[in-house]
Amino acid sequence: MSNSFIIRVLQLLGLAAGILSTAGTVYAEEEIVIGGSIPITGVFSFAGVNIHAGIGDYVKLVNDQGGVMGRKVRYVYEDTGYKADASVAAFKKLTSQNPVHLYYGDSTAFSKIINPELNRTESILMTGASFATEINDPRKYPYQFMVGPDYQAMFALLLKYIAREKPNATVAFVYSDSEFGRDPIEENKKTVANLGLKLVAEVITPPGSVDVSTEVLKLRRADPDYTIFHGYVLAPIPEFISLARKMGMQSQFMGTFWSMDKNNIMKMGEDADGFLGIMPYRYSDDASADAPMLEKIRQIRPGYQSTTYLQGFVAAMLLLECAKRTLEADQELNAKNLKAAFNSIKNFDTGGIIGVPVTVKSNSIPVGRIYKADLKNGKMVPVSDWLTTE
Amino acid sequence: MDWLLLLEVSLAGLGTGGLYALTALAFVMIYKATKVVNLAIGEMLMMGAYFFLAFSTALQLPWWLAMAGAVMGGGLLGAVIERLTIRPLLGKSTLSVFMVTVGLASVFVGVVELVWTADPRALPEFIPRAAVFIGPAFVAPKIFYSFLVAAALIAATLFVLRFWRGGVALRATASDQVAAYAMGINVPRVFSVAWIIAGMIAALAGILVGAIGGISSAMGQFGLSVLVVVIFGGLDSVLGALVGGIVVGLMEALAGTYLGGEYKRLTPFSLLALILIVRPYGLFGTAEIERL
Amino acid sequence: MRIGAAKATYAADEALFDSATQRCWLGVLFTALVCFPFLANAYWLYLAGLVAINVVSVTGLNILTGYTGLVSLGHAAFLGLGAYTVAILEARAGTNFLLNLVVGGGVATIGGLIVGMPSLRVKGLYLAISTIAALFILQFVFYNWVAVTGGSAGLSVPPARLFGLVLDDSFKFYWVIVPLTVLLLFGAANLFRTRIGRAFIAIRDRDISAEVLGIPLLRYKLMSFGLSSFYAGVAGGLWAYFFRSVTPESFPLLLSIFYLAAVIVGGMGTILGGILGAAFMTLVPELLKLIVGWLPIQGDTLVIISPLRTIAFGALIIGFLIFEPNGLAEIWCRVRRFFHLWPFRT
Repeated sequence: MSNSFIIRVLQLLGLAAGILSTAGTVYAEEEIVIGGSIPITGVFSFAGVNIHAGIGDYVKLVNDQGGVMGRKVRYVYEDTGYKADASVAAFKKLTSQNPVHLYYGDSTAFSKIINPELNRTESILMTGASFATEINDPRKYPYQFMVGPDYQAMFALLLKYIAREKPNATVAFVYSDSEFGRDPIEENKKTVANLGLKLVAEVITPPGSVDVSTEVLKLRRADPDYTIFHGYVLAPIPEFISLARKMGMQSQFMGTFWSMDKNNIMKMGEDADGFLGIMPYRYSDDASADAPMLEKIRQIRPGYQSTTYLQGFVAAMLLLECAKRTLEADQELNAKNLKAAFNSIKNFDTGGIIGVPVTVKSNSIPVGRIYKADLKNGKMVPVSDWLTTE
Repeated sequence: MDWLLLLEVSLAGLGTGGLYALTALAFVMIYKATKVVNLAIGEMLMMGAYFFLAFSTALQLPWWLAMAGAVMGGGLLGAVIERLTIRPLLGKSTLSVFMVTVGLASVFVGVVELVWTADPRALPEFIPRAAVFIGPAFVAPKIFYSFLVAAALIAATLFVLRFWRGGVALRATASDQVAAYAMGINVPRVFSVAWIIAGMIAALAGILVGAIGGISSAMGQFGLSVLVVVIFGGLDSVLGALVGGIVVGLMEALAGTYLGGEYKRLTPFSLLALILIVRPYGLFGTAEIERL
Repeated sequence: MRIGAAKATYAADEALFDSATQRCWLGVLFTALVCFPFLANAYWLYLAGLVAINVVSVTGLNILTGYTGLVSLGHAAFLGLGAYTVAILEARAGTNFLLNLVVGGGVATIGGLIVGMPSLRVKGLYLAISTIAALFILQFVFYNWVAVTGGSAGLSVPPARLFGLVLDDSFKFYWVIVPLTVLLLFGAANLFRTRIGRAFIAIRDRDISAEVLGIPLLRYKLMSFGLSSFYAGVAGGLWAYFFRSVTPESFPLLLSIFYLAAVIVGGMGTILGGILGAAFMTLVPELLKLIVGWLPIQGDTLVIISPLRTIAFGALIIGFLIFEPNGLAEIWCRVRRFFHLWPFRT
């Protein structure tokens, strides 16, 4: 590389540095800022991309209608690849550049890690992709909430369904070796005992693993009546189910919220017929009910929208509702006031996304419904009412 | 003692081991011919699998044609890598070439993420779906057929190395470059051929691994386990690659089942630590003799 | 134009900064470092802190790989050891901030000595791969020794306290990180004026000859591992205070590769190379984001930033290795020489 070339490169770099230094924080006053650590790439990218779209769409909807109490909403975000330390770095970066009042965190691990910081600064109300049971505790996590029932409640609903359908059935848990995966397991082992069911296998898979053939062999040995998956969005559930059916396993398969996307289940083919799971929301293509918000979503984005999209959408809805109530009460947008606004949410209508008006409990929205996959008709069919979890 | 479970787990382990052995073979071929430790081998696998995906979905080719295309693509990729990034560094330190392969791995991962996004995907099904039973033991059909293909390919490669002129030239260059030159062997061409063959093998292995567990931009992790296999067996030993592959695959499956899923990642590296203490150059590797 | 410099004393010969011009520029640099936090916004202070941590870590790796020639891909694990030690001490024992850093460095040093043990038996790439094994084994410990490390949830670190002042934002933290970094850099530069440093360089060039000359190989190789791990441990401790959380996923193989790439891109075997490499590799993703923001691309640019960053990372490594193997330090030296010898050509 010649010297003149290097000198030219240096000049360019100097110019860039000069411009970079001016690219500081330029934000309008009187704005409401939602920050997001979003897993757009990485193992959760399927969910992340849709969550991102959901939040963005709702923010745009609100801004088109004049914003919240006249203030525009701005959504700033960083990609995290579903890595906790990248999420933390994104949080630091976004909060140092913008006056963030509301935040969306991408994982259970991140929610737990950032909690002390939230408690210290007391300026941000946070929700996220996590439905972790531990976070559903207003004393330990005073400035966070979740957009649905916690994983333990979801599991409990599934277990109760099993106990009703087949008393004394055998159950197996298959979960991923991560914060997300491990969260509800211990508590639900007790629930299993209380309901008279029997836990015959507990299979742990390393996160991001692709080859589950040995794990399926273990599962086959145990031959449970019901197998509950938790801690996954897609992989390795299709592999598990397909191998299990090939081995002649008759088990019914169930999943928690993140594995309930209709397209993902339908792609698994006839092996996944009868797949059961908990959904806190309606499916976006459910035209049977009176749901004005779902109608709006269908107008903005024709075609089926993933359950993960709805999660982001509802999260933004709740965050901005808290902001609205705080501003209506003429209070400052800080964590205490925003959380008090959250706690005041009673019989709130989500525009039909959740089938009944919701009242918050602790840090969660304790409503869910069990859906079953009907592969022949390509639909997810509800097999229970809108249940309130305890 | 559940003998049936043990048998089934061992068979599953052998199946995975076969794929390890196949990839290790590609690695060893590159190392023998060009003395390059190719850390991008996992990513070359990944590229082969994505080529297959592209050929069979975008171009709608039948699976065997897509596979042939992917294998050719892998070979071409090997040639391009060798020419553009390895050839200029001929004679430089081994660390430099090693780091270049690390850089290559990053570039491949980035390209895949850019074109196909980081979503895990499933390859089109082409392996027969009927369950395979060896006696009373169940073997996942994908693993069974992959093992057969891997074994056939390894046998073919060994045959080629021994009897084909090019194979002999490869072995000659590997053992003494100067003498090979003196005998009239076109050494740069041998380098290219080695990388092309290794690229083709890696592409095929990638298709098989992808068929079993789906493909994603993180598939390259497979390469780390293969690295352990070749160190275990000896960086420049084909036999070592085979034995190492089988042993590591077996140990991984057994540890995963009997100790718990968390130990699956740890096993290859514990084996590595063990072999470095006992036989640092691998089971069948040649000890490096340093001359001043 | 400077033509030559005749040294009259041994001290002058050994001096780190030997000309008045150099000392002048050093003064300017220090003034700039002192003024920076008053002029920069929180985002730049955050970046500055990150760069400082990376500089410490890369300097450590440079001692091991650049100066002693022992390739190590386990560097991230030593950062992890330092970070976890500091996190545990701060959260459970509440001991002094500086003491925690030293203890963190100490624990990492012990780890480094253990990992360095095979270095007499194995060399070159085999040693590199054994360090990868050490990294994975340590990672396994981080994940599974739940009682101590908090398992996959990790540990959250209370902010550092120095003389009663709570260091909870980037501005305050800057005043601790940067002097510490400068101190460690001077330490490293000084190391290579001593016997030990020269022994390291001898081992890199030809270790068997070094042994013939009377340098006990195992002792000095272990010392190199230990010293480099100390730097990593301190960097890890600073990391823990900076990010306020430590998880097992924070220290993957990719981080080791990042540091090794920084050493190579910066220039192996020079302290300046360590600084330049760390700063460059840390700031490139930010620069990339800016460039992508300028490009007229439809839709959400966020989706392509991450893959572009990965490609840029790989391309930088390959590019530097093929075109400029001595790294940024060499480019810097050439530019300097140009100005020294002007108006003559270099």
